[in-house]
Amino acid sequence: MNMIKSLAAVLLGLAAGALLMALTGHNPAEGYKFLFEGGLKNPERIGNTLATATPLILTGLSVAFAFRTGLFNIGAAGQMLFGGFCATAVGHLVDLPRAVLLLLMVLVGFLGGALWALIPGILKARYNVHEVVSTIMMNWIAYWTVFYAIPSYFKGGSETESRQLPANALFHENWLSELFQGSYVNLGFFIAIISVLITGFLINRTTLGYELKAVGFNRHAAEYAGIAVKRSIVMSMFISGGIAGLAGVAQYAGNASSIQIGILPTQGFDGIAVALLGANAPLGVLVSAIFFGLLYSGRGFMNAMTEIPPEIADSIIAIIIYFAATSILIDRLYRKYKSRRAANKKQGG
Amino acid sequence: MKKGVMSLLSLALSVSMLAGCGSKPEEGATGGAGGEAPKASFTVGMVTDAGTIDDKSFNQGTYEGIERANKDFGTGLKYQKPAGTTEAEYTKEIGNLYDAGYKFIVTPGFKFETAIFKAQEKYKDAKFVLIDGAPNSGEPDAKPVVADNTVSIFFAEQESGFLAGVATALQLKEGEAGFIGGIQIPPVQKFNWGFQQGLNYANENLDTKVEIKKDNVVYQGTFDNVAAGGQLASQMYSNGVKVIFAAAGGVGVGAIQEAVTRAKGGDEVWIVGVDVDQYNDGVYGDKSVVLTSAVKKIDQAAYDMIKAETEGKFPGGQTLTLDAKSDGVGLPAENPNLSEEVLKQVDEVLEKIKSGEITVSAEQGDLLP
Repeated sequence: MNMIKSLAAVLLGLAAGALLMALTGHNPAEGYKFLFEGGLKNPERIGNTLATATPLILTGLSVAFAFRTGLFNIGAAGQMLFGGFCATAVGHLVDLPRAVLLLLMVLVGFLGGALWALIPGILKARYNVHEVVSTIMMNWIAYWTVFYAIPSYFKGGSETESRQLPANALFHENWLSELFQGSYVNLGFFIAIISVLITGFLINRTTLGYELKAVGFNRHAAEYAGIAVKRSIVMSMFISGGIAGLAGVAQYAGNASSIQIGILPTQGFDGIAVALLGANAPLGVLVSAIFFGLLYSGRGFMNAMTEIPPEIADSIIAIIIYFAATSILIDRLYRKYKSRRAANKKQGG
Repeated sequence: MKKGVMSLLSLALSVSMLAGCGSKPEEGATGGAGGEAPKASFTVGMVTDAGTIDDKSFNQGTYEGIERANKDFGTGLKYQKPAGTTEAEYTKEIGNLYDAGYKFIVTPGFKFETAIFKAQEKYKDAKFVLIDGAPNSGEPDAKPVVADNTVSIFFAEQESGFLAGVATALQLKEGEAGFIGGIQIPPVQKFNWGFQQGLNYANENLDTKVEIKKDNVVYQGTFDNVAAGGQLASQMYSNGVKVIFAAAGGVGVGAIQEAVTRAKGGDEVWIVGVDVDQYNDGVYGDKSVVLTSAVKKIDQAAYDMIKAETEGKFPGGQTLTLDAKSDGVGLPAENPNLSEEVLKQVDEVLEKIKSGEITVSAEQGDLLP
């Protein structure tokens, strides 16, 4: 059912996008042809699609995980930024063999993001401060912390960017780039895949996952059943933030090699849409993030090959996201339709 | 609970989406020129920097230059809007343009330095124009490498700021000035320092008394926070500042809006615009709060490079600095808020800069930061 809902959302979104193209005097079939070619035409483009999807997989996973435990983590952007910042700091300051260094960066990135979500988690558990408000605030604290810290400690060639990480501290792999003929896809993609697998296992197969979900379903019932609710809330924010932190590692030490100040990563907010379209299931998130990656990656090619201006391309993507985000509506319509039919049957019979 | 979450969610999404599609699509990428314009042997593409094509600044200036060239030479035009501002995203769009046959690529802004550094090697049969930056590897202390298929263009912002400073001082005679910058990067700093030197020059030589205090020199920290620009401007005006030089992209737009609100209420407040002639952005009734603008002729630079290519004279491998002498920076052609008298004096100063009698420093020296 969830899959049908998501597919319906995508199809509706694509249809609405086609309508928009037609209304502005462009050929939808041609537009979509180049959109998908742009993301899939050759190995390099496929690699770029996967690389674009990588941070989205992780932020989507982060948001989905929090959703499953009844929390709305809207702070993935800040957690991602801060996690990426911590990993970047380690990359600059620590000198270790590459494999150890990369693992350390992953760990520190996770902890950085986790720390950023831990604070709203504690505020929620102890003082019942709504996590939407506190995570948004934490976004801006991360933004300005990085804004201050990068020029002060890791100043690069230009004023608005950190120094580039040394090759030793980057997730680039030559064999991967060669396999995908010069694409910038990197080890970050594997971090994302592994995170999907671990999170899936954690949510569905472990006691901890069960407890966290139980709190999400009904806090009071969970408390009555003897689950430490406050601890669970803190725990799930911690994990959710950590996963977002990994997105930062993949973005700033994989897709890019430096951090720019003055920008909250857009992937943080896109993660919400990814999670919704993926029905908050880890595998669903993986698929929907790759779909988003395809749209973002192919958009430029569509724009270059046709006369569709980039703003229209943006709007088309926004419409698809919108339908994905409102997939709950489709659910409701479907239920209404079903109950009406059931009622009709009763009346008829 | 669930309902609450959903409504919050849709709110959040609509906010992020509003942010994403705030701009209206420009009558733009319409391909080859209409009518009898000659058809050039190459097509021109552009990749935008952060912000929209109608940003009243870099993107717009570059686009207008290309548009004009398209009319004159039929070079076609196409612009790509990257999904983000990382090197990978810039590179992707440059690749898209190249694959689609656009082999003369103009990129505005220093953020393209590393992307062009790689692209000029990867696409040897394409030509690149990098405005306000020089290609380099991005490593610390990296030397700029301008390949034979690339031109790198800089502007002498300080001279433009200087002229605006002189004009401001002459027109207002006395009072306090302020400065709002975007991010503290060299082009913005040079505007600021040039402006201060301009005020000082007028105070010393032309019998004016326009001062600028340390508290009223502020870098907001972004180029897009419109609300913050309004607040900063509001603070300065409340503290008695009469004119603000806003070199801050969208932040400056906020400052202009604040000035318009106050001017409508009868206050005497002014803005000095930046990059392009911003007179029309500050219009209220039949007046405008924009005293003048410190202009960087980005459009002319883009146009000239395309023109040079059509004549087979593309100055590949060179780094050009456009200044007052080459007419690359200055004040707008029309300045309805400046009197004849002032304009005449400013022209005299301009001549002195051109002749080298006045030199405007691009360094801070003992000026305010």
